[in-house]
Amino acid sequence: MRERFTLDNEQIGELQSILSEDPEIRECLVLNTCNRLEIYGIASSKNGFEGNIRQKLCSSQGIDRSLFDQHSFWHTNLDVLQHALEVSAGLDSQMVGETEILGQMKEAYAAAKAAKSTGTVLNRLFEKSFQAAKSARTKTGITRGQVSIGNVAVDLASRIFGKLNKSRVLLLGSGEVGEKTAQALKSRGVRDIAVSSRTFENAHRLAHELNGSAIDFEDFLSQLHNYDVVIGSTAAPGSLLSKDAIRHAMRARPDRPLFLIDLALPRDIDPAVEELDNVYLYNLDDLSNIANENLAARKAEIEHARQILKGHAWNLWLQLRRRNLISHQE
Amino acid sequence: MLSELVMTDRTAFAIGAGIYAVAFLLGLGMLMLRKTYLRAVMFTLLTGGFLFQTLGLNLRGAEIKACPLGNSFEIAQFISWSIMMLFFVVGPAFRLRLLGFFTVGLAALLSGVSLLVPGWDQPYPAGIFGGNPWIELHAALAIFSYGVFAILALVSIMFLMQQHGLKKKQFGGVYQYLPSVQQLDLMAKRLLLTGVIVLTAALVFGAVFWINNLELVPIFKLTATCIVWFGYLIVVILRIQKKLVTRRHALASIILFALAIASLWPVESAREHHHTPAETNVPPPTDL
Repeated sequence: MRERFTLDNEQIGELQSILSEDPEIRECLVLNTCNRLEIYGIASSKNGFEGNIRQKLCSSQGIDRSLFDQHSFWHTNLDVLQHALEVSAGLDSQMVGETEILGQMKEAYAAAKAAKSTGTVLNRLFEKSFQAAKSARTKTGITRGQVSIGNVAVDLASRIFGKLNKSRVLLLGSGEVGEKTAQALKSRGVRDIAVSSRTFENAHRLAHELNGSAIDFEDFLSQLHNYDVVIGSTAAPGSLLSKDAIRHAMRARPDRPLFLIDLALPRDIDPAVEELDNVYLYNLDDLSNIANENLAARKAEIEHARQILKGHAWNLWLQLRRRNLISHQE
Repeated sequence: MLSELVMTDRTAFAIGAGIYAVAFLLGLGMLMLRKTYLRAVMFTLLTGGFLFQTLGLNLRGAEIKACPLGNSFEIAQFISWSIMMLFFVVGPAFRLRLLGFFTVGLAALLSGVSLLVPGWDQPYPAGIFGGNPWIELHAALAIFSYGVFAILALVSIMFLMQQHGLKKKQFGGVYQYLPSVQQLDLMAKRLLLTGVIVLTAALVFGAVFWINNLELVPIFKLTATCIVWFGYLIVVILRIQKKLVTRRHALASIILFALAIASLWPVESAREHHHTPAETNVPPPTDL
């Protein structure tokens, strides 16, 4: 259902124009992300307004109205304010507390403001929602801990190396999770990334995407000691890195830690390497467990954050009412 | 000017130790509540405790007209003061989170215990250093090096904790505030070199006195100090050769510090036996 409402920037602009041209709509803003399509608006009257909007959307996207009604929601008054604040704080996101949504809301707001679709009420709502999101994030743990595999790996690398600007990364294989993990490390400024895969073309392509280098699969063992982080993400049927291979590599770097990330199934790295001093091995299950624990911890903070946002929403509601900027049932 | 103060040296030491204890308990409470403490509050407490302890050392020094290193109480206070001073130098430079918490805990323990054991603050003959600046410098540097080794032991404990957390896949709690293992290892290496250089300098300055006063060379004390120095020197050499690194280096640093501290007591008791009323006018041996 969600895919049916995927809009590109041009379509969003068109939808925004259609809504703005409606004399019943005083202000409107379309928020479109990978996880939601929301329309915020102020109407002059409420008679039949909801039905009109729903019908317009269904017609433009060619969707059955009853199916749409089943999967959509409609808020009014204070509930709209509360919802907008919760969305901006990431409480409504799949990854609770994620901050990307705030940037997306800021972009949507800037676009609507530039198109002169917003007015006093929506301007105030969105500006307040950004402040409230910051407040909820500061006062609660909804953003604490990483919830994606890549970012958990980056966190672990930071606990081992501190700053990552001198760390070198070797990616074995061209698996998707491995690639994302390498990208997350790259975004934190690792010194360089090398890719090694049985198919050299794949390694070369991925190395190009990561702005790194490709090395022959036959050579990676002899160069292992040069790397601080090794990500195993191949489809090899057995272990690629044995305890002896790692022990041999560590002889050349006894005082520098080695971080091994095994994202492959079956495993690329022999679990016995954990016994070696200064070697830290994490597999996909370990990283997933950490991400899930962090996500659970964030979810436990939702109610606390919601209470904080309720206060902000109520204050904003009173302000708008006091200044007669909004009437009940709008 | 110091003599005009109403406060006695022990009162100043007690206030300093009290502030350290409050800072430590504040840090501990915040850690248990999984909250971060305000750095400004912690820094103010550490600075306040340090200033009172400095005042205490000054008052004691003015009273005995020498560096206050004449008994176990003074040595404990001086080590405690040294590690706090080192924290102010090392902590901000390396942004070592939690080091302040560990340091202030050790400082509070050393300072508090020395205040609570009356036997440690026994009077000793006036002019214990015999007005010899070399031996006074030797004593101060030697005790300061022990402060460096104390911080090294703390950093090593933090390293072992972080390594344990990473190996056992532990998150949250105290682990999230610890610096990275690589950063702690680098810090330990630098502290080890600093401590050995300072202790070597202390022995060289002491030797200036011993060469001219061979009959006063305290064999037992000299042996104990040289063993400690030699132990750290071996660790430095093995570290440079990369034969003693990370975990084993951390363990060696902790064990050596425990031995160094343990050696202070026999050294002290040997000195007490060595002093007799007839010797009060003779510059006595003051090696650790």
